[in-house]
Amino acid sequence: MAGRGRGRGSGLSLTQEQYQALGITRGDNTPAPLAPPPLFPKLETKPLPLTCDATTDYMLIVKDQFIEYLHESPAYVKLQARTDGIERYSDKYKLLSLNAKQGKVLDCVWNRMPSELRPQTARVRVVRKRKLNDTTDISKRLETLESKELQEESGETTVVNENEDVKKDAMEEEELEDEEEQDYEVDDGTDYANNYFDNGEDYDEEDDNLDDGPVY
Amino acid sequence: MSHQLGRVVSEILHRYFGEIVQQVGKDLFTYGSKPISMIVKTTGLPRAQVVESLRTLLKFHLATFEPSSNEVNADYKLIPDNVLLLIRYPRYLLQMKSKYGSEAELLIEELLQQATCSATILLVTIAKKYKDDEVKNITMSKLKDTFISLATAGYIQQAPVEEVKEGCEIPTLVPVATIVPELDTRHLLHAMTMDISEITDNVYWEVNYDRFHLDFRDEIMIKAVTRRIDENAGEMLQHLLRLMYLTSAPWAPESNPTPVLELRECCQRVAAEKPHLNQHFDQYLKVLEENGAGFVRRCGEAGGGQYMVRPRQAAHALLLCTLEHCVTERLGSNAARIFRLINSKKYIEEDDIQKHAMLPNKECKELTYKLLEEHFISVQPMRKAASAGGLAKAIYLYHINLHEVAHTAAELCYRALHNVCRRAAHERRRHARLLDKQRRVRTIVHGMRLRGEPQPNIDDVEETLTPPELAVLTSVEKRLKQLSAAELELDRTLFILKWYFMYP
Repeated sequence: MAGRGRGRGSGLSLTQEQYQALGITRGDNTPAPLAPPPLFPKLETKPLPLTCDATTDYMLIVKDQFIEYLHESPAYVKLQARTDGIERYSDKYKLLSLNAKQGKVLDCVWNRMPSELRPQTARVRVVRKRKLNDTTDISKRLETLESKELQEESGETTVVNENEDVKKDAMEEEELEDEEEQDYEVDDGTDYANNYFDNGEDYDEEDDNLDDGPVY
Repeated sequence: MSHQLGRVVSEILHRYFGEIVQQVGKDLFTYGSKPISMIVKTTGLPRAQVVESLRTLLKFHLATFEPSSNEVNADYKLIPDNVLLLIRYPRYLLQMKSKYGSEAELLIEELLQQATCSATILLVTIAKKYKDDEVKNITMSKLKDTFISLATAGYIQQAPVEEVKEGCEIPTLVPVATIVPELDTRHLLHAMTMDISEITDNVYWEVNYDRFHLDFRDEIMIKAVTRRIDENAGEMLQHLLRLMYLTSAPWAPESNPTPVLELRECCQRVAAEKPHLNQHFDQYLKVLEENGAGFVRRCGEAGGGQYMVRPRQAAHALLLCTLEHCVTERLGSNAARIFRLINSKKYIEEDDIQKHAMLPNKECKELTYKLLEEHFISVQPMRKAASAGGLAKAIYLYHINLHEVAHTAAELCYRALHNVCRRAAHERRRHARLLDKQRRVRTIVHGMRLRGEPQPNIDDVEETLTPPELAVLTSVEKRLKQLSAAELELDRTLFILKWYFMYP
């Protein structure tokens, strides 16, 4: 029953003696700190100096070399080069140097990567280009066409004519090839073929979508 | 998996692989494992760049993947510990250079840069790179021999092999046992003349970090004994460790017993260089056992006595030293005295600390509370069940939970490492223009030297860097060097902590 006189919370709060034992006395209660602690507190003692011998120098050089290698390699992923809308003379060179590495793909063991990381799309593109550029392919196709033609005409022509025909065909073949190549280049080089006409449908659609959005 | 670790990992990724890999790595760290589409969503980066970053992370073993539940996509997961190892790469190279010479260093350097590489391509690239170097004099046969000896010693190992289950597009990587390859010099020389893409060699190799860490562990133990006793004792421990590798697992907490006779034979073999060790063999063994911080223990009498090495005990002792040092540097030697006192008494009451530490009452209390605040010590309240009076309802026992304190120290290391990286990046960014100019001048001068242009012209180019610019540059370089050195030192401390955590 002795504890009663001390109030209800005697189990939780500490007595005067216990406070004293913890070093808290009535007189010098520390004022509550008002400011947050400094972001960079002052060091009480100066830190020990770092050892700088030949081995440390060697390690630092090696480390810098390694980082430089990584920065040059495709492992260092960069943002797409962008301009700020103002054309400058140096833009061309800057973009060139920035985009030089974009084409390169990291050298990995692709079998050991998940399929979604493998550079499949790039490969397909390369194959397509090759098909178009390859002259032997074109000539082969022409040859098959030629032989078909010959088969159709074979009933009517004589041996002598055939020889002439072959020569003519060869000429035509060359011309065809030239034309095809030219066509290919022209298609790529100019943008006449591109459709720049904007019928305004897209604009409307977007607007519609925006309007439709908040309707529930 | 702490907040501080996440910050360090992201800073390191930024330094080594740039901003985008950093964003992807940070995202993976925060969310554990997730598929590509989720990464794209949370980071807001284009998918192609996320794919590129993941390739980089996977290539350098900084992340792993496993098929997700639908078995079509993969879930990616960052390995923060491997990211921290990037800082340790220079140490691996130093180890190689001092132990196996420059060929081994070149091999490991190239392999670290390529992450995984087949033996033929590795050797051919190095040989091509140093073909014209007269000073180093690299020959293919020497390279081949070094490669084989490194593989035999376990510094390099075969990379895990993929295994594709049917109907699943994600391969699983299965580790394989390393088989030391038979390389033919003539075959390699023939491969030199071929194009790299034509070489078909599908056994891939990677660096075995663990083997290097074993070397570091042995070095630390030997150095500790050498400093505590003397060089002969260090030599003796080295022999003991070598015998340990023959009989027990390399990371075993305690080695299998080693008979004294074997150790004596080892010491007799080096009697010419270390006559003292051979003469006072028994005394050295006794001193090592009694005064070697418990690194070695006598565990049996059979066969003239049997001894075991105790790496677990060594890690424990070294951790204690590290923590003591840490407390000394942060709170002063008096706090370190209290720390040691609590450690030696296991559980101690506050009054007893004051009695035994022999410090003024108030100072002692202040330091104890400071230690408690910084989590170097912890407190255990003990309630007395049936106390009659209001006095002394509970007693507070101070003690050290070593595992927790080690974690506190690791957090401190991570925070310091983050600050160092951050500061270095800031310095570099602030003086980016100057550093760039210096680099350009250097390359131009180097080119001119190669072309053999006259000295006045070279001087002209060098003078484009004005004296004030040079002064700024030297000060920046000095600061960056100091920060890098600090990085290496912090990594050493982290190594000891990681070693301690290895034994639960």
